[in-house]
Amino acid sequence: MKKRVLAILLTVVLVALLLPGCSKPTTAQGDITKDNIKVGFVHVSDPSDMGYTYNHDLGTKEMQKALGLRDDQIINKFNVAEGAACDTALRELLDAGCNIIFATSFGFEDYVLEIAQEYPDVQFCHATGYQAAGADLPNFHNYFASIYEARYLAGIAAGLKTETNKLGYVAAFPFAEVISGYTAFYLGAKSVNPKVTMEIMYTNSWNDPTVEAQVAKALIDKGCDVISQHSDSTAPATTAEENGVWQVGYNNDMISAAPNASLISARIDWGIYVTFAVQSVLAGKEIPVDWCAGLADGAVYLSPLNTAIAAPGTQEAIDEATKGILDGSLHVFAGPLNGKGSDFSGNPITIDVAAGEYFHEQEDASAPSWCYIIPGCTVLE
Amino acid sequence: MLDTTVALLVAAVLAGTPLLLGALGEILTERSGNLNLGVEGMMFMGAITGLIGSFFYEQAVIGAGLAPSGALSALIALLVSFLAGAFGALIYGFLTITLRANQNVTGLILTIFGTGFGNFFGEYFGLKAGGYIAVSKATKSAFAPINIPYLSDLPVVGKLFFSYNWMVYFAIALAIAMAWFFFKSRVGLNLRAVGEDPAAADAAGINVSRYRYFATVIGGGICGIGGMYMCMVTTSGVWVHGCVSGYGWLAVALVIFATWRPLRGMVLAVIFGGLMVMRMYISIPGLPAQIYEMVPYVITILVLVITSIRQSKEHAMPASCGLNYFREDR
Repeated sequence: MKKRVLAILLTVVLVALLLPGCSKPTTAQGDITKDNIKVGFVHVSDPSDMGYTYNHDLGTKEMQKALGLRDDQIINKFNVAEGAACDTALRELLDAGCNIIFATSFGFEDYVLEIAQEYPDVQFCHATGYQAAGADLPNFHNYFASIYEARYLAGIAAGLKTETNKLGYVAAFPFAEVISGYTAFYLGAKSVNPKVTMEIMYTNSWNDPTVEAQVAKALIDKGCDVISQHSDSTAPATTAEENGVWQVGYNNDMISAAPNASLISARIDWGIYVTFAVQSVLAGKEIPVDWCAGLADGAVYLSPLNTAIAAPGTQEAIDEATKGILDGSLHVFAGPLNGKGSDFSGNPITIDVAAGEYFHEQEDASAPSWCYIIPGCTVLE
Repeated sequence: MLDTTVALLVAAVLAGTPLLLGALGEILTERSGNLNLGVEGMMFMGAITGLIGSFFYEQAVIGAGLAPSGALSALIALLVSFLAGAFGALIYGFLTITLRANQNVTGLILTIFGTGFGNFFGEYFGLKAGGYIAVSKATKSAFAPINIPYLSDLPVVGKLFFSYNWMVYFAIALAIAMAWFFFKSRVGLNLRAVGEDPAAADAAGINVSRYRYFATVIGGGICGIGGMYMCMVTTSGVWVHGCVSGYGWLAVALVIFATWRPLRGMVLAVIFGGLMVMRMYISIPGLPAQIYEMVPYVITILVLVITSIRQSKEHAMPASCGLNYFREDR
């Protein structure tokens, strides 16, 4: 009897403790101001990756500082898998009363799209996606930066440095975002070193340091002496360092992780967009459906060159190419250029850019669309 | 071709070592009759504690204005990760040996607990350290490949046998020692008796509970060391969320594949490791990477099928593994 009473008592206490959690969240009705706005983020990893999420989180901090928001107005959901966990994370952010939510990984898009329809008063911004233009939802937006420009410039450092004329690329998925990135990187290397070739290997994950390290090691074993990456962590950099070859990073200045290997990194300044989007909500203005900026706006840039190990003349070559991109005389995907790829259903497709023309990458949409493998690049699978 | 083969073998050994350590811990545990499915959890616990152990040691030494010693830091990581894994196993042991809880359920809970433990403290200390936890160069170089003059420079042989970090040799020595312990020592014989038939062992005057506790706790500690390998070698001394990710389960599969024998485990760990990295070295055009990743598990299923068809007593699971011992049931 005593036990039963105790059990009932405990249950009552538990329910009593849970009830406040169920209460209707105080969604900001009326004006959204600097003091009551709440900004949510869903990340596939956490800043300890020292790569993609770290870099995006810097953008968050930039926005917080620029707009003067308090810490409790920013809610981060880290290490959210690209699956049902994303749905949960988004709903938790909505329960917490977020007015604008950024989802930063490609695989989140379907979940964000679904929830955006349910919550028309909340703004949803999804990085690297492509569905906003066709979705026709006023509160769902895509954003990205034309990272291919910075990758092209970073490729110059790799092309000048390589001794075996073989570059290795640790790539996440065979998606256009990744293919566009490594093609630009390769074209940059080739612009200064016509003999260079590149081998690409997929990890099939945005962030799996174990596999990234193993893939990097395999590429080095195949004779690649500059490793670059489209994956989130610094594992390719530290692997390159351990094996005495060089590396070109992504998202973050990786020199501190691999001082004798990392030459330069292609980076995105997410702060520009994040600040702009949050400001738009505060001002009651509409956020563009599709946002993309590049080198000219400072949305993509290069981390400082590691002059201690870079080939002589690298900085000059990069500066010259930068000038060309900025004044429009240099196009990354300039013809003559041909490549092969496959469309969504796996059918082979080809592209042939004639001399004097160029492929208009990320001009009509923020999502990269170059998905062709060009001669000189070999995908190992 | 030779170069590729050597490179593949070296990569296989490196990928196989954490599996071997996890499997050795689990072999010791299962030989005593405890089926601890919490290997993944204990590896996570060992991974994070080993890393923060080294990290705090370095911080303390640097704070005192001295240079940290890599060897000492590695030793601390080894000890702390062992203790953390042993602690996880102690929880398991208390629940199953003393309280006689269901072994499968307890093991699964330990996996969930350990994964959360690792990721929680990884993030917690990462935030405290201002972003992420990473050990300094001194510790990193302690986990770098060894370099023995002349031997390491030999063609092929030098690469194949003398180019690993110390933990690889540690794991090999442990496997050999464990094989000796099981099959050549008195205590090992007693332990096997406990795993096969605890009632008979009890009648022979062997303290079943004590043997099970010791085997489980030490086994858990070895699993913890396997986790520390993931953190220190595979991800180069940086905490990465979910870094053990499935290796613990592969280790459990390896135990079955190795038919509870340490030396067999040593060879098969290299094969498992090789299967995991094979796609990066040998490419079969048109074969998706996912197929390669399935292979270790498919092989485990095949081994299970074959051993159950053969019904060989010698290669079977210890007879009482998975069952709790009630003295009163005798």
